Amino acid sequence: MRQRLLFSCVLSFAVASALPVAAQEEVYLKVTSPGLTRVMIALPAFPSRPGTDPGAAATLLATLRKDLDETAVVGAVPEENARLVVVAPGNPALTHQRWRAVGAQFLLEGGLAGAGTQIVLEVRLFDLTSGEIAYSRRLQGAVNLAPTIAHTLANELVHLFTGRPGPFLSRIAFVSDRSGSKELWVMRWDGSEAQQLTSHRSIALSPAWSPNGEWLAFTSFLRGNPQLFILRPTQGYLKPLSTLPGVNSSPSFSPDGKEIAFAAGEDGSTDIWLAPVQGGTPQRLTRRLGISTQPSWSPSGRQIAFTSTAGGSPQLYVMDAEGTNVRRLTFEDKFADEATWASDGVRVAYTTLIEGLFQIAILDMRTNTRSVVAGPGNNESPCWSPDGTVLAFVSNRTGTKQIFVTDPLGRPRQITNEGNNVQPAWVAQVQ
Amino acid sequence: MSSPWSNKFSAIALCASVAFTLSCAHRKTVVAPEPPSEAPAQATAIPAPGEGTTEVRPEPRVATAGHPESGVTASELPANLEELNKAGYVKDAFFDTNKSELRSDARESLAADASWLKEHPSVRILIEGHCDDRNTEEYNLALGWRRANAAKAYLASLGVATDRIATISYGEERPFAMCQNESCWWQNRCAHFVITAR
Repeated sequence: MRQRLLFSCVLSFAVASALPVAAQEEVYLKVTSPGLTRVMIALPAFPSRPGTDPGAAATLLATLRKDLDETAVVGAVPEENARLVVVAPGNPALTHQRWRAVGAQFLLEGGLAGAGTQIVLEVRLFDLTSGEIAYSRRLQGAVNLAPTIAHTLANELVHLFTGRPGPFLSRIAFVSDRSGSKELWVMRWDGSEAQQLTSHRSIALSPAWSPNGEWLAFTSFLRGNPQLFILRPTQGYLKPLSTLPGVNSSPSFSPDGKEIAFAAGEDGSTDIWLAPVQGGTPQRLTRRLGISTQPSWSPSGRQIAFTSTAGGSPQLYVMDAEGTNVRRLTFEDKFADEATWASDGVRVAYTTLIEGLFQIAILDMRTNTRSVVAGPGNNESPCWSPDGTVLAFVSNRTGTKQIFVTDPLGRPRQITNEGNNVQPAWVAQVQ
Repeated sequence: MSSPWSNKFSAIALCASVAFTLSCAHRKTVVAPEPPSEAPAQATAIPAPGEGTTEVRPEPRVATAGHPESGVTASELPANLEELNKAGYVKDAFFDTNKSELRSDARESLAADASWLKEHPSVRILIEGHCDDRNTEEYNLALGWRRANAAKAYLASLGVATDRIATISYGEERPFAMCQNESCWWQNRCAHFVITAR
């Protein structure tokens, strides 16, 4: 009963679309509580009109089913259960009742039409309790975009139930040595379709997306000294951004995409600097108290978290975006680095050191409490999914460094295999 | 020439040429300025031809002394930079975990490097900062940068011109040894010297 109330509540929020921040957080916290039952959606085959590409309907359905099964929030009614349901022609109420009997709470009915290379998918989502239509949508595109159409639909269904879009069109940029040198790569969030972005045969480091997925900033030793570059992955267009002395590392885009915070400095110093993406004089934000590195912009754009050795060991600090009002965030850790802010602006994931091993920790900025997500081996370089529900990170638990993604219940899944793969950076969609 | 002298020279030349232009613009005589009083006088007069014999001796060799230990002279240095680097004339400095402060053994080895570099003033070096992989990549990049520059600053304090020393950090990206314990980690925590010009 409680669940039903929750989901109606979630649904009305999503449909209303103007989500107050507090309500959004509440939705998140409830929906991803451990032990929560998923919303089960019945996915019968999409009938195709004559003339439609024969494989399109099957591709759409298979992709959609796979996507939904990846989430902990919604799931597709298993096929063996779906097979038991006999559709009652002309009697939707009876059909809905039969779907409920096999565990479905919602029913996604669709139909596919197509002409030539184009397909049009029309879907309606029925709430099987009330019989009402909770959502309807018409998606259109080229036949070869069937998987993308399915990912888009899956994203919207997840959005409907959680208030946040699903990860199905998201990509993870990362650094891999599988080609023999450290190059930039990008893959889908599930590890599929890995593509090489650079082949400089140098050292590429610390990729960071612009918030709109248009640009990827990174450090490269391409010209000898490490320099900051920005890359347009869709065009292969590379542009130098900073040639300050020093490391020119760990870029982080401001939420408006106009500025990049990064680390650099002369004579052995490393400070946080701010540079306009369109070019211009970088401005220094921190003042040479030890090493300052790894800036991470808060989603509001008002604050920047970073690592500093000002107090001895590396610890997390936060400052206002102008470089003022610096205060320390971590006190319990021997080591704290690689802060990364979740989209809720409340949780900061970072790398800590526990019993000689790196582990991922999450700091809740509201309650000022820390929780450690320990796993086997060293675990580092946390990176939030764009919706802030799960983490990607790097672990050497298998002997090599590989990228793992947790599900909303915190269970990790390895998504890379070849070579060493490090420094994941996750974006909702590449533009 | 020192710049004050050059400046004075051009100022005088300018005054002289302006004065000349005003008085006799059509004459094409080059007017040389008088040397300023503080300019050094010619040390010795060049003898007129036939006025005696000047014995020409070889110029004293400058800064060609070999490495104090190896006894190798500069002319005997391997011509190939790769071989020169393999020969190990400059020694790396090693660091404690997570530190960029110079240990006493690092100071000793840097002092030897400094004297060798002063004996070979044409040699230019690149100091690479390296780290073991027990920190995050980004932090190690910054730590390696501190190590390289700590070594450079110490060489400079011993009189090596800083324009001969370039620095770079590779963090943990180019380890010298691959393993999972201190038996090799120490080798990766260093300021590594590369000779870039002979």
